[in-house]
Amino acid sequence: MSEREAGKIYDLGYQRYEGARLGRGHAVWVLYRESLRSAFGLGRRAAAKIAPAILAIIAIIPAVLQVLVGVFGGGEGMEVARHDEYYTLIFVVLVLNVAIIAPDIVGRDQRNRTLSLYFTRAISRADYVLAKFLALVSAMLLVTLVPQLVMFVGNAFVADSFTDHAVDNLDQIAPIVAAAVLGSALIASIGAAVAAQTPQRVLATVGIIAAFLLPHVVANALVESIDSLSARLAIFISPVALIDGFTSWMFRVEPERVVLMADFALETYALGAVALAGICYAILLRRYLQVAP
Amino acid sequence: MTSSRVDGSPLVDTNRLLKRYPSVTAIDNLDLELEAGVIGLAGANGAGKSTLIKILLGLMPPDAGGASIMGLDVATEGTTLRQRVGYMPEHDCLPLDMNATEFVVYMAEISGLPRTAARERTAEILRHVGLFEARYRSMAGYSTGMRQRVKLAQALVHDPDFVLLDEPTNGLDPAGRDEMLELIQRTGETFGISVLMATHLLGEIERVCEELVVLDGGKLVHQGQLARFTSNTETLEVEVEGDAPSLAESLSRSGIDATVAGQTVLVTSTEDPPFAMIRDAVVELDLGLIRMKQRRRMLEDLFRPQQQSGSEQEAAGEDAGV
Repeated sequence: MSEREAGKIYDLGYQRYEGARLGRGHAVWVLYRESLRSAFGLGRRAAAKIAPAILAIIAIIPAVLQVLVGVFGGGEGMEVARHDEYYTLIFVVLVLNVAIIAPDIVGRDQRNRTLSLYFTRAISRADYVLAKFLALVSAMLLVTLVPQLVMFVGNAFVADSFTDHAVDNLDQIAPIVAAAVLGSALIASIGAAVAAQTPQRVLATVGIIAAFLLPHVVANALVESIDSLSARLAIFISPVALIDGFTSWMFRVEPERVVLMADFALETYALGAVALAGICYAILLRRYLQVAP
Repeated sequence: MTSSRVDGSPLVDTNRLLKRYPSVTAIDNLDLELEAGVIGLAGANGAGKSTLIKILLGLMPPDAGGASIMGLDVATEGTTLRQRVGYMPEHDCLPLDMNATEFVVYMAEISGLPRTAARERTAEILRHVGLFEARYRSMAGYSTGMRQRVKLAQALVHDPDFVLLDEPTNGLDPAGRDEMLELIQRTGETFGISVLMATHLLGEIERVCEELVVLDGGKLVHQGQLARFTSNTETLEVEVEGDAPSLAESLSRSGIDATVAGQTVLVTSTEDPPFAMIRDAVVELDLGLIRMKQRRRMLEDLFRPQQQSGSEQEAAGEDAGV
């Protein structure tokens, strides 16, 4: 069939659609699903799958190593990774992951100018933001929660008795899940708030990395060099310190040196993380309420 | 045209709608009432066409005044209303790394269709716009014409009652333009979907629309039925090779109202045009007859003088007749 014939219009009659029209909840779910798929390059060309896949693999390597050490080292000797310090260990991976995925989930529709199509459909702009945020949180859970669960289950298999080990460490499940969810939400909100400001992918990626590193450097310098309350408060602008703080609180362990030096009750880091995530979500929402598609 | 899907309420109703940008008033206290049908929205670039469409779709809030579509208030019932409308933007809006089927299915689902129905309707609508063979190809490899068809397909896939098309023939070559206009005409006639088509090309409106709305500087300068406007006039144009004034003189002697305009003699008659007499006169004077045709009023005739006068009220009458 020639190209010309292929483009021909065949009149087979037009059918009205009389079926169900599902509401906003359905639209949010579809938007969430498709955003998550696009973040991992599903339904896209192969090149789009590479970076997220590599990062997901790197994030899980410490967990796998820990399990392998258990298998070959015999029992619970050496420690490669612990649940409570996992995020400090893979923090670079977490930042790179959000720096690559957030510009895709959040910036893509601005880049393609697809926003006008969404906003003329039966969803509100707030619905759109919610779906995008949840998709990014889910994408982060793949590199936060999944390695932790792999390590938990792997350690239990390696132990003398799977059931005994699992039951003995059952109290670890709640902090594992809580820290993963709060950490993912915090990282996602910062990444999304930055990525939403520009349709330019490279700019967004660099901006996100800066948004994690700059506060970290500034907070560390202030806390370590100046011994005053206002300087020590700077610790709450650092996402790294916040995650270290609330993870240590949830697992009942001692935090890193900087968080120790700042000398605040560890539960305040959980509050700080919720507050920072809330502020970033508000920035994200504001951007989409104002943007002219 | 098939029966309209819009009953009772006007298709579009605006009430002293106002939208100002920092340097210009885009929509200037616009009062507009449109009934269902295929409507052309004409105006020069910057006349306020796109702004009007964006306000009607809730993409941008007006500074004052209000608007409703099919009886639903744009400001307060936007979500309900947007289930029943489709929009084809002027600008590029396609994620080119997807294929047409994936994208249109996705848009159908966002519009509220369950997945199975979304897939069925996507296949059907892509067939309607002539993309059935190419439906699994990445849109990155599509021509401008094919991309415009996908944009139309996503606006129609959820079976809206009303579609708003912003410059749908933008960037198309003449053949692509013809095909797009044919599709739009079918959308109105066969599908029974009301259409508001914004364009700066009057010829396109003449080809597909039933009603014409002309904006200039955000104001309504004309609204009326197209058929009545572009119907035949009582003037016959007779184009000849040779001495045109002598033909006019000869016809005048026979009691026919004839005037000369260059190589053309304009013959006005209230009854059937006197074709035989004209033919005989031409033969008698030994002139070459190039063509005879009934003069039609063109949209340009309407548009130009009123753009100059800028008096919107007198022109906003119900009839296109000047």
